[in-house]
Amino acid sequence: MKKKKFRLSYEKQKRLYGYGFLSLWLVGTLLFFIVPLAESFLYSFQNVNPQSGGMKGDWVGFNNYSAAFTKDPYFRTYLVDALWEMVRTTPIILVFSLFSAVLINQKFKGRALVRAIFFLPVIVASGPVYSVITGDMNTSGTSGAEQFSTVFETDMVTELLEFTGIYGLNQTLTENIKLAIDSIFAIVWKSGIQILIFLAALQNIPSSAREAAQIEGATAWEYFWKITFPYVSPMIIANLIFTVIDTFTDSGNKVMMRIIAMQSDWKYGVAAAMVWSYFAVVMIIVGILFLIVNRYVYYEND
Amino acid sequence: MKNKETIRAEKKKRKEHRKLMTKEQVSYVKRKKAVDIVWRVFRFFIIFGLCFVILYPIVFMISCAFRERADMNDPTVMWIPRHFTFDVIKETAEAIKLPETLVSTLLINIGCSLVQVITTALTGYGFARFQFKGKNLLFGIVILMILVPPQIILLPQYDLFKTLGMINTAWTMYLPAMTANGLRSGIMILIFRQFFRGLPKELEDAAYLDGCGPLRTFAVIMVPNALSSFLTVFLFSVVWYWNDYYVCNSFFSTNQTLALMIKNIQAVLNASLFSDSSMHVSTREFVVWTQAACLISISPMLVMYAFLQKYFTEGIERSGLVG
Repeated sequence: MKKKKFRLSYEKQKRLYGYGFLSLWLVGTLLFFIVPLAESFLYSFQNVNPQSGGMKGDWVGFNNYSAAFTKDPYFRTYLVDALWEMVRTTPIILVFSLFSAVLINQKFKGRALVRAIFFLPVIVASGPVYSVITGDMNTSGTSGAEQFSTVFETDMVTELLEFTGIYGLNQTLTENIKLAIDSIFAIVWKSGIQILIFLAALQNIPSSAREAAQIEGATAWEYFWKITFPYVSPMIIANLIFTVIDTFTDSGNKVMMRIIAMQSDWKYGVAAAMVWSYFAVVMIIVGILFLIVNRYVYYEND
Repeated sequence: MKNKETIRAEKKKRKEHRKLMTKEQVSYVKRKKAVDIVWRVFRFFIIFGLCFVILYPIVFMISCAFRERADMNDPTVMWIPRHFTFDVIKETAEAIKLPETLVSTLLINIGCSLVQVITTALTGYGFARFQFKGKNLLFGIVILMILVPPQIILLPQYDLFKTLGMINTAWTMYLPAMTANGLRSGIMILIFRQFFRGLPKELEDAAYLDGCGPLRTFAVIMVPNALSSFLTVFLFSVVWYWNDYYVCNSFFSTNQTLALMIKNIQAVLNASLFSDSSMHVSTREFVVWTQAACLISISPMLVMYAFLQKYFTEGIERSGLVG
């Protein structure tokens, strides 16, 4: 009897310790996450007016949502654009980062240097410096940024094309290559973390699997699809989520810019409705992608 | 000499080997060799091209920051400035009030990162090792923290800080960090949880048997084992705080951090350097100053990266985030 009582209390104790370790986070989450989250959700159904004592809201039901979608001149087009951009670039970023990870996982001279260069965007790309160098900075009425962008990117592409001797051979060809290279710049700069995660997954492939494939005489192509891909496939989902979250804070995200503009216009209710509907749509898309990708993911424990 | 001999011996051996092979085998070996060489050349060009794309803006930045503005209009100047000068850097540093800004950036950046690493590690450990009611629900909240864009919660947070009278003070950054709710804290908690789950339980059991309390066990046993993981998370946190302009922007009305300065660099430069209307600077020449500001802003990160690069790359592998 006594022993049992001791064990129970020990377990209770451990449970309490668990809460103890989480206590700071619990307080913070309640204050800085759950309550703000709920408040902003309520804002989206209210006509919010800032007053001296905080926010005052009157319930307006779904008016804010219908205002966002039907009355706002920009929101719908921006939303469609942003979603289309997301659906278009995310797979390219995933494929590119997997390809790069496989590439720099191979053995060659100067690999350490190449890796250091490939992860450089991780340090720079999430900040405002990136928007300066791509020239998309959202400072009001500065044609300078635009000018700079054209100066900068055309220079780079032309140089490469001249270097390879393609420039000026064919007008449409040059244009198309320029367009592709422009997006290459964005894609390379946005896939730093994704490459890092894929590379880590590649290095976790057990050497027994590699050896078995070698003994069986697998070609590089077979090796990629039968060994590499299954082992890194769980990370595809992680990277998918990473990529999508990054678009939320991307400085070139027009939906978010529109939302900020609404906020600075004191239309908090509509802004909240916009951000919630944007979030909901993105989550639905991610959920669908997750269900599709998850069917092809190989979990080793199964 | 010996080296040459061994090579010759190897060649001979290979030749003998080839004699034993069938025709198909020989052609297979030859084909494989050819494919190998082609792949190597191909790989070199791809890697070279990608490195070019990545390094271009940084080289451009350095090249611009050290040239006089007249060089921007000089078509012969591509990379190497004709008039080499430090003046642009000096002027920009003055315009963005470098000493003050740097100090306040570092205070927010390093301080918040340190605090946040500690608090998220505690939280991650709690999730990894203890069983309690509602754990799944709470972990669901962590996942939600990762997914929810900051834009959703920033406005109510602003309200909260305003009622507390903390707008424009560093508390707006420190308080969330102190309670494991700062920038991207969800991801950090997740990394720590995965990492601590990967460590053997026997480590702590021994300490518990010896009468160590959980907090002390954590500090004495787990932390030393997790140092490299701590460093990795800390470095990422530093980078995220350094680059954050979004959250800062909503809590500070003045440009207190370098990231905010860069975000509003046009206005900052216009206000301090070109307020005199007699001085006309074309948009093309303006690039010199913006690039100098960018260079100033990223150079601390570049220096850190140069020295601690392996903790960025190896740390992720060891953190247990993967696999």
